[in-house]
Amino acid sequence: MKGLWNLAKRLVGPQPEVGVTPADTVHRENKWRLLRYRARPQGLAWSTPVLLIPSMINRHYVLDLMPGKSFVEYLVAQGHDVYIIDWGTPGPEDRYLTFDDICDRYIARALRVATKISRQPRAHVMGYCMGGTLAVIHTAVRPRRVASLLALAAPIDFHDDGLLSVWTRSKGFSVGDLTRGMGNVPWPLMQLSFHMLRPTLNLSKSVRLLDRAWDDEFLDGFFASERWGNDNVSFPGAAYRTYIEQLYRGNALIDGSFSLSGQRVDLQRIKCPTLAVTFTHDHIVPTRSAAILADRVGADDVTHWDCPGGHVGAMISRHASTGLWPRLAGWWQAHEAGVAAA
Amino acid sequence: MNPWKTWKKAFDQWESATADLFQTWMKSPMLLEPAGSALSMSMRLKAMSDKMAAGWWGVMGLPTKRDQERTLHALNQLESRLLDLEERLEDLPQAHN
Repeated sequence: MKGLWNLAKRLVGPQPEVGVTPADTVHRENKWRLLRYRARPQGLAWSTPVLLIPSMINRHYVLDLMPGKSFVEYLVAQGHDVYIIDWGTPGPEDRYLTFDDICDRYIARALRVATKISRQPRAHVMGYCMGGTLAVIHTAVRPRRVASLLALAAPIDFHDDGLLSVWTRSKGFSVGDLTRGMGNVPWPLMQLSFHMLRPTLNLSKSVRLLDRAWDDEFLDGFFASERWGNDNVSFPGAAYRTYIEQLYRGNALIDGSFSLSGQRVDLQRIKCPTLAVTFTHDHIVPTRSAAILADRVGADDVTHWDCPGGHVGAMISRHASTGLWPRLAGWWQAHEAGVAAA
Repeated sequence: MNPWKTWKKAFDQWESATADLFQTWMKSPMLLEPAGSALSMSMRLKAMSDKMAAGWWGVMGLPTKRDQERTLHALNQLESRLLDLEERLEDLPQAHN
């Protein structure tokens, strides 16, 4: 009964605060902006900045969900100089925004601004989910400002047996018709496709909510992650067309036919230290699709970690603060000396 | 045993089996191809009706939604090009040294 009362109070109460780690906007262009998180009071412990590139389908604050469940907050507390790209909300005119605009021009600008402000020649780059794919492609073509590459659950081989891959390769589906009809790909359509990956998930989540309704900490995390999960953004049409036709259907990163701003993307050109992280129970990006990065890059220092958890849960769960986050920060810290000497 | 725990255990088993079944079904071409074709058809109809509506606006000498989108996009691209140019200018003294 206490649990039900607790739950009822939460349902009518205010939404949890998300993305609250203090940050300043250091660059703004079209709809996206670059945020720099304020350093801890003791100052920075690590000079090389860290640039976080989130997926374009969801909001950036998944990496800064709420106090105690924020990867960004953890990194700042460890003395890292952290930047993140907030992709913003595309307007109808962004239907013409190309994959090159986003993956080449915008990421290059973010790297340039971050390294300039931090007065460092290079930055550690971490991409999460589709943001990881963008980071990998960018690094292969413009490696100059990338100190190390961390791809977190980033799809590289799109011809896997995952549902998203099967759907996008279905003969009846025409991505050209979709983008001509809608301009940007509407977020409700993408959210529906994510729900269809596991249609029973909402029911299962409701049962789990009832089961743990007495646990305030669980409820805080649950409502924050639900808020994030339902705060989606539409995808710029022209960029989506490239993403689906060339990467999902053509698997162009694997066969080497993908090009960014006219330059062929050869993963062998990635020579910086590279870490590919996959999640055992990831039903959005299957392990095989992301792990292949470690075999394809040309770097000598390549690592692959297969970690327990799902696509989102592994990064925002209570265990992440004592497991995955210290490992990721430790990997950057281990590569800091190499950066300074280079 | 607690009745709620017993029920939850049964629910978890049902959910797991049902999700697996759904996944198999969702991958079936019998479902995917008609669903994909229906989506594509509705998008083609929408594009056609948008084009017709734009035609009427054009006849009246008014800018269409697409015209406005193109103009705004061009302005955004112009802003980006100016930023590119600023970067090049910043790099010039370094290149000369």
